[in-house]
Amino acid sequence: MGKRLEGRVAIVTGAGRGIGRGVAMLLADEGASVVVNDLGGGVDGVGGSDAPAAQVVAEIEARGGTAVANFDSVADYESAGNIIKTAIDNFGRLDVVNHVAGILRDRMVFNMTEEEWDGVLQVHLYGAYNMVRHAVPHMINQGYGRIVLFSSGSGMGASGQANYAAAKEGMVGFARALSRELNEHGILVNAVYPGGATRMTETIPESTQQLRQTQRQTAAAAAGATQATQGAPIMGPPEARAPENNAPKAVYLSSEACEITGQVIGTSGWPATLYSPRHVIRSIHKNSRWTLDELDELLPISLGNGLVNPVPPQAPRQ
Amino acid sequence: MGNRLEGKTAVVTGAGRGIGRATALLLAEEGASVVVNDLGCDVDGSGSSNDPADGTVEAIKAAGGNAVASYDNVATMDGGEAVIRSAVDNFGQVDVLVNSVGVLQDRMIYRMTPDEWDRVIRYNVKGTFAPTKFAAILFRQQRSGRVVNFTSDAGLGDIGRSNYAAASEAIIGLTRTVGRDLGRYGVTCNAISPLVETRLFPGSVDEFRVAQGPSPSPTERAGIGQSPPVSDWEGEGSEDDPANVAPLAVYLSTYASPNVNCNVFGVRGGSIYLYSNPEIANAIHKWGTFTMAEMDELVPKIFGKGL
Repeated sequence: MGKRLEGRVAIVTGAGRGIGRGVAMLLADEGASVVVNDLGGGVDGVGGSDAPAAQVVAEIEARGGTAVANFDSVADYESAGNIIKTAIDNFGRLDVVNHVAGILRDRMVFNMTEEEWDGVLQVHLYGAYNMVRHAVPHMINQGYGRIVLFSSGSGMGASGQANYAAAKEGMVGFARALSRELNEHGILVNAVYPGGATRMTETIPESTQQLRQTQRQTAAAAAGATQATQGAPIMGPPEARAPENNAPKAVYLSSEACEITGQVIGTSGWPATLYSPRHVIRSIHKNSRWTLDELDELLPISLGNGLVNPVPPQAPRQ
Repeated sequence: MGNRLEGKTAVVTGAGRGIGRATALLLAEEGASVVVNDLGCDVDGSGSSNDPADGTVEAIKAAGGNAVASYDNVATMDGGEAVIRSAVDNFGQVDVLVNSVGVLQDRMIYRMTPDEWDRVIRYNVKGTFAPTKFAAILFRQQRSGRVVNFTSDAGLGDIGRSNYAAASEAIIGLTRTVGRDLGRYGVTCNAISPLVETRLFPGSVDEFRVAQGPSPSPTERAGIGQSPPVSDWEGEGSEDDPANVAPLAVYLSTYASPNVNCNVFGVRGGSIYLYSNPEIANAIHKWGTFTMAEMDELVPKIFGKGL
């Protein structure tokens, strides 16, 4: 039990289970009053139940913490406003928002329906805007705030997740822009790439997991020198996959001690990792417009040299 | 006049003006039949007009090329399907999709309305997804195809356009995924982050080189140093001309470099950049779960203060 968030008020969306639950519990352990938000829907966002959020509130209270449940959807602008209102009505202020709520509707891009696309963007990306837009005026008035948006390493590319990758990497761009707009108001905004064995990852078919593993290895080979010098991150034994391991890093980003803003922090497993933004690694220059003849000749031996297609063409299945 | 895309059909969204128009013209010059799509809306996505798309079609035809206009709103699934269908109906096939549609509606987050947020995400991101989905159906069947998306370095954190920043990075996430979904079928999908003078961004390249707001600026973060001084721009146009982006876009639309997939490039004047993926820059390890006291001590020490 610490006092790092004594007197602070925090909202955790998607706090009924998995990673969000772990974050809510640790925030409460550190003295924060917590709004435990969870719609209680299925992994695909369908349905709803008060049970998950109520359960987490009961657990927090049993440990001597302060929490209140909220069952509103982050995906709708008005109803997201109710989540912020719950914090203000119950605890009088709002210092921390952790937007963890998320759903999955995986589908290859050529089969993806509008409903699958919209549904995922609404919860993750629109949810981030909805929460931030309602929270920020309170934080500006206080001159203090901490926002943590739960993105995903899938934003770096994951087969079958066009909707999820777009939403999650969009949250990174959103966090970066917010960090620069809100810095002068004492509000720090970061994104995290979380991970862990949760209800959500259980839904991924074995074949998909294998495909992604192969693609990651191909990509790792493509990264070449970087991987060779740094090695793959050490993720630890299976118990390191417990979703609660994300919490210390997310709670640090939610605390007054944090001086980081506009970054992507990997919270998966035991380690804490800092991601670089996409940045220029090669360039070619000229003082006039490039011609296609020049690019045909030069690009393969300069910018394109050694790039590895993560999913190279395959012969049709017979 | 080349023949790199002889017999191919290309769809270019947002082709009525700026980068899309320049790309459509160069695709046509290389022999492609082009569907010139433009809703003809204002910078913020409101209104519509047939004139921009018609203008590009006329320019292509005047140069001896082959093109048809499309005025569909590709931010809807129906519009995305219609623009691909237009290529099939008119030219029998689709080989290249260039998604250059984009709208801008700048606002600080504490003033941004849900509509301003939604419009920018919908037009930019769904406007990339919708035509891509329908092109992907055909690309998968014919086991070939090229997708080129446009994104922006605003995604590295521009002040006053968090909606556009989110859209820009979302398009990159989408690009990396579409390339993975379709790579096995011989399709590539890449993105270009341009910086030129267009209707969306009327400033010149040089103005944008000046760092804005608290450092590090997005440009510095991206690792783009001061460009080599280009005192004398030679040949056609200027260094701010959107046509400078077209050669790279067309290059990525051809079947050169099948190994280039899921990558992000940048163009500024005569400079072309290759971006990395996000990479683990630093890590703190412990054999076990971190305590808060350890985080307090290690994060500032190892990740550094005031990043």
